Amino acid sequence: MALLERHEWYDIARSTNWTPKYVSEDHLFPDVMTGAQGVPVEKWEVYDEPYKVSYPEYVRIQREKDAGAYSVKAALERSRIYENADPGWRSILKAHYGAIALGEYAAMSAEARMCRFGRAPGMRNMATFGMMDENRHAQIQLFFPHEYAPKDRQFDWAHKAYHTNEWAAIAARHTFDDLFMARSATEIAVMLTFAFETGFTNMQFLGLAADAAEAGDFTFASLISSIQTDESRHAQIGGPALQVLISNGRKAEAQKLVDIAIARAWRIFCILTGPSMDYNTPLEHRKQSFKEFMQEWIVGQFERSLIDLGLDLPWYWDKMIAEFDYQHHAYQMGLWFWRPTLWWNPAAGVTPECRAWLEEKYPGWNASFGQAWDVITDNLVNGRPEFTAPETLPIVCNMSQIPICAVPGDGWNVKDYPLEYEGRLYHFNSEIDRWIFEQDPKRYRDHMTLVDRFLAGKIQPPDLMGALAYMSLAPGEMGDDAHGYAWVEAFRKSPPKAPPLAAE
Amino acid sequence: MALFPIISNFERDFVLLLVPVDTENTMDEVAAAAAHHSVGRRVAPQPNKVIRVRRQGATEFFPRNKRLAETDIKPMEALEFIFADA
Repeated sequence: MALLERHEWYDIARSTNWTPKYVSEDHLFPDVMTGAQGVPVEKWEVYDEPYKVSYPEYVRIQREKDAGAYSVKAALERSRIYENADPGWRSILKAHYGAIALGEYAAMSAEARMCRFGRAPGMRNMATFGMMDENRHAQIQLFFPHEYAPKDRQFDWAHKAYHTNEWAAIAARHTFDDLFMARSATEIAVMLTFAFETGFTNMQFLGLAADAAEAGDFTFASLISSIQTDESRHAQIGGPALQVLISNGRKAEAQKLVDIAIARAWRIFCILTGPSMDYNTPLEHRKQSFKEFMQEWIVGQFERSLIDLGLDLPWYWDKMIAEFDYQHHAYQMGLWFWRPTLWWNPAAGVTPECRAWLEEKYPGWNASFGQAWDVITDNLVNGRPEFTAPETLPIVCNMSQIPICAVPGDGWNVKDYPLEYEGRLYHFNSEIDRWIFEQDPKRYRDHMTLVDRFLAGKIQPPDLMGALAYMSLAPGEMGDDAHGYAWVEAFRKSPPKAPPLAAE
Repeated sequence: MALFPIISNFERDFVLLLVPVDTENTMDEVAAAAAHHSVGRRVAPQPNKVIRVRRQGATEFFPRNKRLAETDIKPMEALEFIFADA
């Protein structure tokens, strides 16, 4: 007997809603877990996933993907790609694996919540595959760096990072807990799959795969491509969920979820991808600046997705676009200056040639960020490395958990965005971060930033070494300049113009 | 005397910093404590200038010899440290 084509049986096979006899509908699908916002179940049944796949098809495709990625890895294991790669590229790998691998496990739990509590059968069906996708992503992104752990123990942080109180790990956990670990099925569909994955990771992974190929790291390129094709499928869970919410009078609620999620995703990508593209990627391999990338993918592409769905642009859209010019430069300076607090070695990325590129891509960079780098470079040229090491903590944003920073030098615009709530003073990086807090203060109020913990006496001894121990950063793991300060040599012949130190 | 954490927003620096000072410190001493973490690290010194302290967004500086305890500055309030003519 011939098998039916998928389209001949798919709709009936995934019609898995039923009328419960032994418990009430509310007990089976409590609103707090479904996030259906009172939209009745029959309205959710119009949910139509744009990408349809059967289980046998899924298994066959995934097997091929895994076989492809693992065979590229096996074939290249004896090549010296890793040893010959620029240290800046190795730093991108370390930052990526530590920040992403266990986040994928978290995303698996989120997808599982949609499998169980999604109100639409199609959502549950797609999320079943999404759950298996995320499990695969976690495992493959732990297995690949494991090969490098004997060469460099910073790669151990692929697994270790999320189990520590390292500040960037806290920032990632806080964001992912908010976007998808502590959310209902519908919220996850909107915040994780639509805002985070459609808006950011799907495109980020496309760019990262191309960069890896450009850098000659075909193992990483095939890994990332393999993940990206899953992302582009399960990221489509959110779109139809948004259509159901909007067509049933829940546009304002949907818009708020989207606005919160895009803002939170932007912070994480800004600190992870921005410095990777504009500083850690060797100059000869850069095809686009981070700003150009954001303008093409987020403004050019994602903006259209929002409008097509009938949503508005987030109220802060212009403010976020303005940040494309400076926020990641400020994050880069913080990453480099507080480099002992990282599990990777940040590249400074400020050779004379790099600075010329930065000035071309970001006119005014030399008069702002360049002036601060002048002082740093002058200290290194003149044998004062101790002045390039941190002696205190930066103030951390109570939303992003990332230091509050902006433009130094001539364009100085650094500002605290404070909020007093129930007698406690909170600090934010921007109006956008503060707005998120104000949408649900009880959700966020009790979290303590690293600085809050320091002031509460939870970090002992109360100094930088105590903070490093609190973050589980052992010697041999703490970050240092990726290139061992070799970039400073170019300035010995032609030092940057920094006035002499008054302190001397 | 009591330890008093403030937030330094130092002119021309890129980041807000935690700076522990003392309630008995004068504004000049508070400014020196903040300068320690910024000037000569990411901010070029301006030898002919003094560093004055003001609330974020304010135009008036606190008097240079005013003690922290004599002001209504709150712990962990963001203060601006500005190069000014002596």
